[in-house]
Amino acid sequence: MQDFLTLVIEPFREVFAGFKRFAPNMLAMLTILIGGLVFARIVRVLLRKALTALSFDAWSDRMGFTVMMRKGDLWTKPTEAVVRVVFWFLVIFTIMIGLGALKVHAVDNLVAQFFLYLPRVFSAVLILVIGYVAAGFLSRTVLIALVNNGYHYAKLLAEAVRLLLIVLILAMALEQLQVAPNIVVAAFSIIFGGIVIALAIAFGAGGIEAARRMIEKGAAEKVEGKDDIQHL
Amino acid sequence: MAGSADIVIGIPSFNNARTIGHVVRAVQAGLAKYFPELKAVLVNSDGGSRDGTMDVVRSTRIEDQAAILVHHRIDPVPIIATPYEGIPGKGSAFRAVFEIADALNAKACAVVDSDLRSITPEWVELLLKPVLRGEAEFVAPLYHRHKFDGTITNSIVYPLTRALYGRRVRQPIGGDFGFSGKLARFYLEKDVWETDVARFGIDIWMTTTAVANNFKISQSYLGAKIHDTKDPGADLSAMLYQVVSAAFGLMEAYPDVWKKVQGSEPVRTYGFQYAVGLEQVNVNVQRMLGIFREGLRNLREIWTAVLGQGDFGDVESLGGAGVDAFRFPRGLWSRIIYDYALAYHRKRLPAEHLIKSLTPLYLGRTASFVLEMADADQSGAEEEIERLCEEFEKNKEYLLNNWK
Repeated sequence: MQDFLTLVIEPFREVFAGFKRFAPNMLAMLTILIGGLVFARIVRVLLRKALTALSFDAWSDRMGFTVMMRKGDLWTKPTEAVVRVVFWFLVIFTIMIGLGALKVHAVDNLVAQFFLYLPRVFSAVLILVIGYVAAGFLSRTVLIALVNNGYHYAKLLAEAVRLLLIVLILAMALEQLQVAPNIVVAAFSIIFGGIVIALAIAFGAGGIEAARRMIEKGAAEKVEGKDDIQHL
Repeated sequence: MAGSADIVIGIPSFNNARTIGHVVRAVQAGLAKYFPELKAVLVNSDGGSRDGTMDVVRSTRIEDQAAILVHHRIDPVPIIATPYEGIPGKGSAFRAVFEIADALNAKACAVVDSDLRSITPEWVELLLKPVLRGEAEFVAPLYHRHKFDGTITNSIVYPLTRALYGRRVRQPIGGDFGFSGKLARFYLEKDVWETDVARFGIDIWMTTTAVANNFKISQSYLGAKIHDTKDPGADLSAMLYQVVSAAFGLMEAYPDVWKKVQGSEPVRTYGFQYAVGLEQVNVNVQRMLGIFREGLRNLREIWTAVLGQGDFGDVESLGGAGVDAFRFPRGLWSRIIYDYALAYHRKRLPAEHLIKSLTPLYLGRTASFVLEMADADQSGAEEEIERLCEEFEKNKEYLLNNWK
């Protein structure tokens, strides 16, 4: 009978012992989560006040970040955007640390993989942000230069430059994230090559008359449109 | 550097072997004729020429003194031909001249361009004598130019600097200046020699610095300015960027000065003014208007952001006019320049993009000026420039109200 009782109670003991071993980890996780969330909220409030005091929105306007956000279809204020990004970064960071405190093998692996993957995410985000700004800058450089030289289709060509650069940047970011790298490289080659061939065919065959007009116009201006004016 | 000199004349150069000999001879003749009793030094500050420019300078002498009607004995003017150090550009070349003037404790200095074909010995007198007499500390040039030449000066730099600083210096970016040794030292003390001033914009910087710091200003009539043909492929928008960014940059440096100024007053002018026969200038108005219309079609976003809906609407309404009826109003043009100055101040766009986007508008205004003045003589064109300057002065309130 005693043996039978032992057989019945033993699993409960083991569960209880397991719970006793696990409870501190659980408590630690909850403490980390609550503490982290409170910390993230405090940071959110302080950061919002600090950025407002520093006129971050006005500075972003001057530096062109607001325009960049609008172009990316982001309509929140720059201050609010930064506050939200920092808040959610802290929340995710807290969750990952909290899960790590559980000391569960499978979760530990997940957390380790998350932290190993983090540098790639940062690199990809950096590539996207810098690439987006660079694409806008180069596209505008092309636009202004073409307009100032009197070329037609300046906007079209500037947008084509932007599109090509964005395709390139997206491919770079996806390659950095290791999202099906072989497919990304193949897809990029196909799309990029396709755009170039399409432009070549459009200009060389479909737009042969337009091309001829542009070349003739340029040559005619050189001969007839003599301009001796000294601007300085 | 040992020794001293009363006069230092600087000639910046870069691959000007073809033309610099004439400039050196004119300067030597001017010094011999008008300042024989003063010690003078000629400085060629060179940017690393590979065509023997410095050799030409060192070997140039006036062969026939009687031909320039000099009857006293003249010693050759000491020449310092040296490559300058620092950022490549006219500003760095001038800095070397200022340093030599400072080391020699010069009383009066002048700088003249190395590609001038119309310089005469009288230029030396006209640029230096007002300084040596103590009547001026800065002498700007006043040239006789074709009514369609110098349009960046006539439509932007002159009206803007006049309205801002209140002095009617007609050629603020002329390039040939006279100034006192004291002003040369003042220039040297300024912390600008590692900035764009060293590369370009030294002319407007010298004029504005002298005006804004209350040095005695004058101008001298030098006749025609004819210089070596510039590279025909030179990019207009790059020129515009260099000049306009320098002018806008100086607005940032002296807001406390120009905010107080109202109206403008003339500066003392030396020299006997006479009419000069000038070569015909061909202007391709159709091409200018074509670029203006391309701007309207393609730069709408930038122009709306810079000018606002109101002024952009006025610009847009010009797009439909035919060539003969095309007129770009003076008031609108002055507001556009102030809008660009404000956008530069607020850093709305990268400076180069911002100012280069002004090119089609500038060409529109220039085309309008050419059409309006087609039958006018030089004085008629000058009256039109005067009316434009008055618009800039009248609309300065707009700039002041929006400059935060």
